[in-house]
Amino acid sequence: MRRVLVTTAVVGSLAALFVFGLLRGHPDRDIPSNLLGRTAPSFELPLYEHYTAEYGTVLSLAEERGRPMIINFWASWCGPCYDEAPHLERIWNRYRDDVLVIGVQTQDRDARAAGRAFIDQFGLSFPNVHDNDSRVSITYGLFGVPETFFVRADGTVQYKHAGPVTESMMVEQIEAMLR
Amino acid sequence: MRRRVPSARRLGPLVIVAMAIAALSAPHAMLAQEGALDRRVFEIANELRCPTCVSESVGQSSSPIAREMRIIIQEQLEGGATRTEILAFFQERYGDWILLEPPKRGLHLLVWVLPVAAAMVGVVVLGVLVRRWQAAGATPVAADPADLARVRAALERTDERPSHVDADAFGERHERGA
Repeated sequence: MRRVLVTTAVVGSLAALFVFGLLRGHPDRDIPSNLLGRTAPSFELPLYEHYTAEYGTVLSLAEERGRPMIINFWASWCGPCYDEAPHLERIWNRYRDDVLVIGVQTQDRDARAAGRAFIDQFGLSFPNVHDNDSRVSITYGLFGVPETFFVRADGTVQYKHAGPVTESMMVEQIEAMLR
Repeated sequence: MRRRVPSARRLGPLVIVAMAIAALSAPHAMLAQEGALDRRVFEIANELRCPTCVSESVGQSSSPIAREMRIIIQEQLEGGATRTEILAFFQERYGDWILLEPPKRGLHLLVWVLPVAAAMVGVVVLGVLVRRWQAAGATPVAADPADLARVRAALERTDERPSHVDADAFGERHERGA
């Protein structure tokens, strides 16, 4: 009887561990950014021609500090980035007086034409830049795309979201940044 | 004379094999192009986990991010940075996750301590069990005197039986191919 109980306990524990492994999803996605609470690293990246009239040829993050920012990293090959792009455009149109949205095309070397097509497809009116060598991606500790950073007016990172963003979660973060 | 042109059906497997070879050799060719990189670059890169891969180090991966990280390591080495400083650079951005060998502090200590502790517990448990078995073997077994007498009698009968009887019986069976 005792042997049956021990065997059941061991097999049950292993089965529970196996099921936990299957159900835990993408643990890498749940890793919080090491930048939380710290100043968002500065970068200077070339803007797409859609935005040069308003922002110049290069966007410098340091020059844009002073108001909350949403920095969204995307790539032309990334499916979920296509899903979230309309949400980002709507948020930009709703909060553009208070919050700056910046799109950073990254992990997408020599893909300016594809980047241009992406921007045109969704009519993105917030500034988009190209991180051709993915240096900014490494500086921000990205695990993949899309990832989105919410930066307070003082330049510190409030939150990082891995995966596609939705309007409701962005509103929640923006309201917290504006408070 | 008509020249036979290989049909697409015949060339199909060859094309597939050629494509497979090209796909498998692509990362190696890419790494070979980076042969100019310092050997130390790969030593350090092998200590870092590739952020966009599954179970690959920055040294092994052919992903664009891993390539860029190797270039950063090379640049930092050229700038005089030490291995510790370079690892700290990536750790600052990605956290402890980026290190393939967990640091020996905090919760990570469990990874180092638990296997040793488990091995020590195993040795102790084994020692206790061995001593218990030895003690059990040394203790005389209580037996019914009647049973002992029956066993002794049976043994005596066995000793009295001529050994060649069994041998002959075996030989007979063996010859018959039984």
